[in-house]
Amino acid sequence: MATDTDIAPAPTETDHHDHPAHLQHHFVSSEQQFDSAKLGMWLFLITEILLFSAMFVAYAVYRQWHPETFVAASETLNVTMGTINTIVLLTSSLTVALSIHYIQKDEVKKCIYNLGATLVLAGGFMVIKYFEYTSKFEHGAYPGGMFDPHGGHYAQLADVPFASQFFSIYFVMTGIHGLHVIIGMAVIGWVAVRAWMGSFSSEYYTPVELTGLYWHLVDIVWIFLFPMLYLI
Amino acid sequence: MSDDGHHILPKATLLKVFGGLIFLTVLTVAVAYVPLGPLAVPVAIGIAATKATLVVLYFMALRYDNPVNALTFTIGIIMVMVFITFTMIDTAFRGDMGNVDRQTMGEIEREQEAAQQQQEQIPSEQLRVAPADYPDDRGADAGAASGDSDS
Repeated sequence: MATDTDIAPAPTETDHHDHPAHLQHHFVSSEQQFDSAKLGMWLFLITEILLFSAMFVAYAVYRQWHPETFVAASETLNVTMGTINTIVLLTSSLTVALSIHYIQKDEVKKCIYNLGATLVLAGGFMVIKYFEYTSKFEHGAYPGGMFDPHGGHYAQLADVPFASQFFSIYFVMTGIHGLHVIIGMAVIGWVAVRAWMGSFSSEYYTPVELTGLYWHLVDIVWIFLFPMLYLI
Repeated sequence: MSDDGHHILPKATLLKVFGGLIFLTVLTVAVAYVPLGPLAVPVAIGIAATKATLVVLYFMALRYDNPVNALTFTIGIIMVMVFITFTMIDTAFRGDMGNVDRQTMGEIEREQEAAQQQQEQIPSEQLRVAPADYPDDRGADAGAASGDSDS
């Protein structure tokens, strides 16, 4: 009896103290845990891509049916604001990539600064989007049945057949993209706080890496939305 | 713990990719003001796809990553292509959707073609109906009658 109890718990106890705090028991190593989490994230990103692809298909079908409508309606969007927002989002992608670069080199402070910069840029994106939306609403450029364009260069849209289709697609696509930006800001904020609390190091930074992947996907969706809605 | 599996992208690479992305953004805006006609859409989408590829390969580091992630991503993108292509094969070639006739469009087309051919086979003198169609003589009545018996 005595020998049994002596032998049995001993290895588990040493196991417990040997592995780092972040490593869960069902993984062999930190490396395997990191790879599993990352594959899971890529699978999630694919579901996100498929979610957006449904809207891209809607855009392609309606554009193919009414090409003139899309050309005429996209001219009412503000290219300057769209370009600024593209550059803002690309810069935020750079800062989030830099935050991963610094946490891999154990420079936690620089990592937190870059996550903070990403948050500020994401907020800037939403502020510009807010001004764009309100200027559309002022002129009655609402989605779907509420579409009632008037004033400024929107008045001409009343004569463009199917113009409300463009604005339905515009608001749904940019709206769901904007929702992803807001969710991204919440996650980046949480990661920044955890980094500040000292949860991450070059040994363990999986949440920073996965948040970065998510944020780059949000950027990629905008990379396609910008020319499709504003330029062509 | 070993970090050998994790590729740390140099800051210089990240900045270069960022520069490329900004350049392509400026390019796509500039190109939008050039009248390209039917090429405008493929050029804009092409530039966007190049930018997305840069983000995926370098910012998301798929180029240096575990190949299984690249495989997952590639299969997903193939599915998106299938989704868009097959939907548009349907929607781009639907024809007259207001037509709810029992006949297929092929049948209607064949019927119209047959009617046209029949029309072309009828000699012009058999198609005379108004007095103005009979400029010459009274003998035209006989011609019309014989035409009836022919058909």
